[in-house]
Amino acid sequence: MTAASPSQNILSSREIRLHLLGLVLVLGFLGLWYWLSTGARAVPTLIELLKDDDPSTRIVAAEQLGHIGPAARSAVSHLVSQATQDGSQHANSTAAAALKSIDLTAARGVMTYFLPHLHDPDVQQRRTACAVIGSLGPVAKPAVPALLVAARDADALVRRNSLIALSAIGIPSQPIGAALLDGLRDSSSLVRQTAVAQWAFTVPLSQEAVAVLTPTLNDPDKSIATLARTALDKPRAADAAHIGSLGIMLAHASARDYALHQLAQLGPAAGEALSPIVSLLEDEHPLIRYLAVETIGGMGAAGQPALPVLRRHRDSDPVVQAAVTEALRAMESAAAAAPSSKEASP
Amino acid sequence: MTGSLQDKSARLRMLARSGIWISLFGGLLLPWSIMLAVEILLRDVPLQRAWRSFTLHLFAPGYNLFLVGLLTALPFVILAASILFHLGTAPAHNILIAHRRAFGLFSAALLMVLIAGWIHIDVLIHPDAQGALAYFYLPILLLMVLPLGYGLGRGLAKLFLPRVPL
Repeated sequence: MTAASPSQNILSSREIRLHLLGLVLVLGFLGLWYWLSTGARAVPTLIELLKDDDPSTRIVAAEQLGHIGPAARSAVSHLVSQATQDGSQHANSTAAAALKSIDLTAARGVMTYFLPHLHDPDVQQRRTACAVIGSLGPVAKPAVPALLVAARDADALVRRNSLIALSAIGIPSQPIGAALLDGLRDSSSLVRQTAVAQWAFTVPLSQEAVAVLTPTLNDPDKSIATLARTALDKPRAADAAHIGSLGIMLAHASARDYALHQLAQLGPAAGEALSPIVSLLEDEHPLIRYLAVETIGGMGAAGQPALPVLRRHRDSDPVVQAAVTEALRAMESAAAAAPSSKEASP
Repeated sequence: MTGSLQDKSARLRMLARSGIWISLFGGLLLPWSIMLAVEILLRDVPLQRAWRSFTLHLFAPGYNLFLVGLLTALPFVILAASILFHLGTAPAHNILIAHRRAFGLFSAALLMVLIAGWIHIDVLIHPDAQGALAYFYLPILLLMVLPLGYGLGRGLAKLFLPRVPL
């Protein structure tokens, strides 16, 4: 007769091995679940969620698709539909924001759709148009002139939304900076607060802005004074150490678009970081390539060493290619103007 | 082995087996249960809506509740492995040693659950910009608590468990 002999330990070595295998399998299953639910593999599920009745579901799905980037190309038509047809402004904005990371042409299409709405007699349409165009970020650069007009709208919320949109676009920095400085003198405290918040958190601080913001430190509205203090404590736009930090941030995927967007607003000063910016012309994300081109184009003479690279560059994205053409034209005319101005000077 | 010893040994075997899996799944489900409970009990969100919002944000950028659960579960996986290799390999004929190890591990698990629960509830009740950092520090804190809790439990067991001849 044989009976199972009792183990010498609480668990037999076979049982320990089986439990260990079980633990590894559970961890493997969790890893597989995560892998299947993120990246390009999640796109079909997220497209289904864009059709959900609940706006918050559509919003979260759009955010996730934007995070996935160009690999979510199959969701573009659904996102365009959400950006332009959805009844929720937040759903419109998140879909538009997602498109800028996936397909620049589609993002420009959304901008084109909303541009006429900036002049709509219905004030809510104008507010929504500003918000959606702003969520497209620097891709909506062609909308800047219309937004500058909207920044003088009779409705305070339209003015506020247009200032937020202008600072989200950021380029060209000079007219946008001027509109934000005008916003500091707006009759509405909401608009003034928005303007100073853009200087505090979004746009680089120019010398002109420092001069205008300094008296705001004594604003009777405490929140405006606090935001002005935050803005003035920031590094200045031309601060070499700050530009150096932004250049270092270009190497980190999570901070790259922020750093590049900041550099794009610095003009010639961004020339200090030219080398890492040029290497981003080959990035897989069209938004990064677009920002790199805009940054080089905005440098003027400081960007001249990048001219041969830009001339050779053939981009698969038509919006980036158009930006390359525009940057080359601006830089070549600046280069042509430089010797003639030297000759003119005694 | 005597019948009593066999009974005690069988109970400890069951304790070790269940402890491994309760530790693993408990660590994973603890933060998720707290998130749902806070929504339902403190914010008066209906269960169905809270569940929908939870599943929607499991993999959403900026939320990543799945990773939050996984980060919290990591020290509990180490605890499960400790139960497996430390309690599991205790000699079946010397119940006193196995009991002391079980007390140590139970004490560590209890402390880890209390700390993880408290931090998760605090982050959810008092949300701020830096709150999410707690999710990254929590696994490190729990890993430090594991040996401390074990030592405490083991010490208490040494003081209070009867040294009956087995």
